[in-house]
Amino acid sequence: MIQEDLNSMVESLHPLEINILFVFEAGKAVDDNLLIKEASIEQSQKDMAIGWLLAKGILSVTGETVARSVVLTEAGERYFDLKIPELRIFQSIKANPDYSMSDVKGRDDIEPAEISSAVGLLKEKGIIKVAAGGRLEMGDGSLISGFEDIQRLISIVREKREISLTDLSENEQSVIEGLHRKRGKSRGIFRVNEKTDRTYALTDLGTNIHTAVLQKGRPVEEISQLTPQMLKDGSWEGKSFRKYNIGLPPPRITPGRKHPYKEFLDNVKYKFVAMGFEEMRGGLVENEFWNMDALYMPQFHPARDIHDVYYVKEPASSKEIEEPFKSRVSDAHYSGGDTGSRGWKYHFDIEKAKRLMLRSQGTAVSARTLAGNPKIPGKYFSIARCFRYEQVDATHAQDFFQIEGIVLGDDINFRTLLGLLELFALEIAKAKEIEFLPAYFPFTEPSVELHVKHPKLGWMELGGAGIFRPEVTIPLGVNVPVIAWGLGLDRMAMVALDIHDIRDLFSGDLDMIRTKRVQWR
Amino acid sequence: MPTISIKKKDLESLIGISFPLNDLEHHLQLVKGELKGYEAGTDELKIELSDSNRPDLWCCEGIARQIKGKLTGAWRDYEFFYSNGCDRAGEIIVSEEMNKIRPYAGGFIATGITVDEEMLVQMIQTQEKISEIFGSKRRRISIGIYNLAKINFPVHYKAVGPEDIRFIPLGFDEKMSLQEILEKHPKGQIYGEILKGMPKYPILVDSKDSVLSFPPIINSREVGEVKVGDSELFIEVTGLDIRLVLLVLNILAVNLHDRGAKIDMVSVEYPYDTEFGRSISIPYEFAEHASLSISDTERVIGESLKVEEITSLLDSYGHWVRMEGDMIHVTPPPYRDDIMHPVDLCEDIAISRGYGNFQAVMPAQMTVGALSEIEKFSDRIRGYMVGAGFQEIISNILTSKEDNLYKMGIEMERVIEVDNIMSQSYSVLRHWILPSLLRVESASSESFYPHRIFESGEVAVYDESGNLSSSTIVKCATLISHHTANFSEVHSILETLMYYLQMDYRLVPGDHPSFIDGRMGWIQTGENVIGLIGEIHPGVLTAWEIHAPCSAFEIDIDKVLSLYQN
Repeated sequence: MIQEDLNSMVESLHPLEINILFVFEAGKAVDDNLLIKEASIEQSQKDMAIGWLLAKGILSVTGETVARSVVLTEAGERYFDLKIPELRIFQSIKANPDYSMSDVKGRDDIEPAEISSAVGLLKEKGIIKVAAGGRLEMGDGSLISGFEDIQRLISIVREKREISLTDLSENEQSVIEGLHRKRGKSRGIFRVNEKTDRTYALTDLGTNIHTAVLQKGRPVEEISQLTPQMLKDGSWEGKSFRKYNIGLPPPRITPGRKHPYKEFLDNVKYKFVAMGFEEMRGGLVENEFWNMDALYMPQFHPARDIHDVYYVKEPASSKEIEEPFKSRVSDAHYSGGDTGSRGWKYHFDIEKAKRLMLRSQGTAVSARTLAGNPKIPGKYFSIARCFRYEQVDATHAQDFFQIEGIVLGDDINFRTLLGLLELFALEIAKAKEIEFLPAYFPFTEPSVELHVKHPKLGWMELGGAGIFRPEVTIPLGVNVPVIAWGLGLDRMAMVALDIHDIRDLFSGDLDMIRTKRVQWR
Repeated sequence: MPTISIKKKDLESLIGISFPLNDLEHHLQLVKGELKGYEAGTDELKIELSDSNRPDLWCCEGIARQIKGKLTGAWRDYEFFYSNGCDRAGEIIVSEEMNKIRPYAGGFIATGITVDEEMLVQMIQTQEKISEIFGSKRRRISIGIYNLAKINFPVHYKAVGPEDIRFIPLGFDEKMSLQEILEKHPKGQIYGEILKGMPKYPILVDSKDSVLSFPPIINSREVGEVKVGDSELFIEVTGLDIRLVLLVLNILAVNLHDRGAKIDMVSVEYPYDTEFGRSISIPYEFAEHASLSISDTERVIGESLKVEEITSLLDSYGHWVRMEGDMIHVTPPPYRDDIMHPVDLCEDIAISRGYGNFQAVMPAQMTVGALSEIEKFSDRIRGYMVGAGFQEIISNILTSKEDNLYKMGIEMERVIEVDNIMSQSYSVLRHWILPSLLRVESASSESFYPHRIFESGEVAVYDESGNLSSSTIVKCATLISHHTANFSEVHSILETLMYYLQMDYRLVPGDHPSFIDGRMGWIQTGENVIGLIGEIHPGVLTAWEIHAPCSAFEIDIDKVLSLYQN
């Protein structure tokens, strides 16, 4: 190894590692216990530092011994105070000739599980006998000494808290082993702990490093963590702080956070508020009247089929259609009413208008707003969940958001409609290149499609708009021109979230939700 | 709306000009058409037409007509609409009982052409698009085209019993009764629904009793099959609405005329009254005149245009225009019946002028923007939840009974169900949010724990008293999941949230099948239950295949807001 590498290894040693290396001498093995003592560090710190040194090839393991020691279990602690059940039962029998099995069972200082094993053992050894009627008689009382040995051993272990197995006599060791076998691990009196002690020695590389470390001498004491105590007593003064490797990756956290798609939609919502739009809301369930009839979509319109929208099962219809809208709208369909239109010329079916459905277009919310005394001039928007009878796939979700709205005012006309769309293109899609194309919607005339050149998607349709037909506005009580507009932002949302399947906007995968970022550029 | 296939050369020959694809794409704005593709090898253009009220544009001839008018100013005179322009060449006699079955029929005759391959393809495509989409799958309109040579006028449009007449339908080799056709013929199986419940069915037969067709189902193979090389055609339309029948016949007549055919008139005799009398000669010009003032026009399009300019814009778009002072009187062409209101003409003016030729201006009136109260309140709660370390979730609202009820341990609860179910997975509107969060847990057992998630969103609940029998409300649910997730942890979150909302609340122990017994409570403020909280029942977790304990609460934001406002 070249000197430079060696130096950089020495430089990068952790203070714990240096502490440990100071305990070593070339060619001499050191064991775990010595390390803890000499380096005066905690077990866990030692384990960590030894691990690093082994991984770096500075130390190697030269030997391994397993030390076994004995401690009292919880039961053992209890028996130290109460004595083991066998001795307690024996004492009672000795003191009371009429002592019976049911007396034993009645004791509250011995658990049922202990009783059968203790009585069984005493009987097996011939110390007691069970006579008729469950009465317990003395047998060979001298044999009780075996149990007294156990009690004594409990005291010995209790005194030392933990005692090495090798420090006990052979007899005592066999008592412990015996108990371990008989009582099993769960209810034992003693627990035998095994601890692996290793010895380590410097490797060839380690010897070089060791020499260098010794030459450098012990580091000045460094502060690793600044504590309140240090601040209080000023003990940090004159000391240096251990330098961190700030290039290491930080630990992972899971922060609280908005859903990325909601973050996108929030931004859209704030944009509209900033442009002077007021939010309007509507219900997920609508009747056909507000979803379609009020929008002058004739009842035979191709998009009003069972294969286009979801209908509600029970009840199938709303109770009523609000007047005066019912009469005015049905007149508009039949003859134009007082809208200046000749109408669709068919007989309007009120029952069909009552049919309940899942809202299929956000324009339903606009229709409700028009009928509810809107402000004039007024600007409204909604981000409305809508439902269509469509096969769910990568481009169709079972429900989706429509971003829709209206603008009411005396100065509304085709040119201000274009002006508004231009504003949307710039504010919502950051698009400066735009194109207006003729379009068709049943409820607007003139109608226009807004195409924009999106920075990432290229030319795309951003939305549709138009001026509501008088057949829509006049029956709902609005006598100024009204722009109706709708934007399709799902593709933009998918680009912002780097998602290729529309269903992923509503993904249940927490990992994906946590890691998705919104690309605002 | 329809997407049609036409040959670029065919279109260009009808217009009389050929142009590069880019120019064509631009001209398609005149017909609200979008070029979906062009196959150079077959010269095939795919064009989507968006205007569902302009079926005259759903064909090569119609697109050509609109573009040609604009580019060349040359309009054909469709003289045949006036009785002196063509000969009366046939008659259809309608029988009384048709009034209750399929009341209207009409037809015309086209001669002097030779049907070639492309023309036949286009005729069939137009017939299909119009009867399927504009005619509501043949219910409102169906079209039949016949070889004139095989027909002896007058033709009778009458009703017969299901077994009264037998003929060989197109696509079959043997005679079948009308009933057999409905049962066995593929077209009968598709369109038979239209005639369901009727004691008698419509039939068209000529004076020698040979069957033309069984409208709206199928033509006869003998008379009702047009082949390449035919030169004289009889075209017939039946339907439920006289205006639509006449409109479609007019469209088909101008289409054939544009390809060089001579159009001859067929008169239809009704025993009952129609909007246009009992005897109608077809093609029939029935367009309604419309008038608009120049000032109204300016108000709609926002631009002041010279009278001559308006006249020329409307004229080049196909209208007959007459000025009278401030008024513009317009007669739309006979193949259009979509001018219901003067605003329709305003759009024609704008399209004819080109949308690109309008200068956009900003609406100048001042308005104040605002979020709804419920949205603001929900956003406030979202803010607290995010601050408390929770990841927001957004979920679909159309879900299943399985998720909303059964997996939650609930056997029965009134929810909003879909009638025309496409898939059980999307058959009810969620009435609470907690299942949406368990859906996330179910999909995320591999995701780094702890999971702390919430969703604030809309649900629909059954509401007997409401006009729509449901209300849409906003609820917020919060869920914690990890090895030792418990009641007190989620209770702390609720406590914190309610503290910042300045709402006093208490928990009332209760029973709910989604939660562990004895570890569930109703969240109440005063006497109002505003939500529920608890440790999710292990049975529920098992049903969702969730492997870590979850504790959760859900509150009704609408209710909290209404209490809050009081």
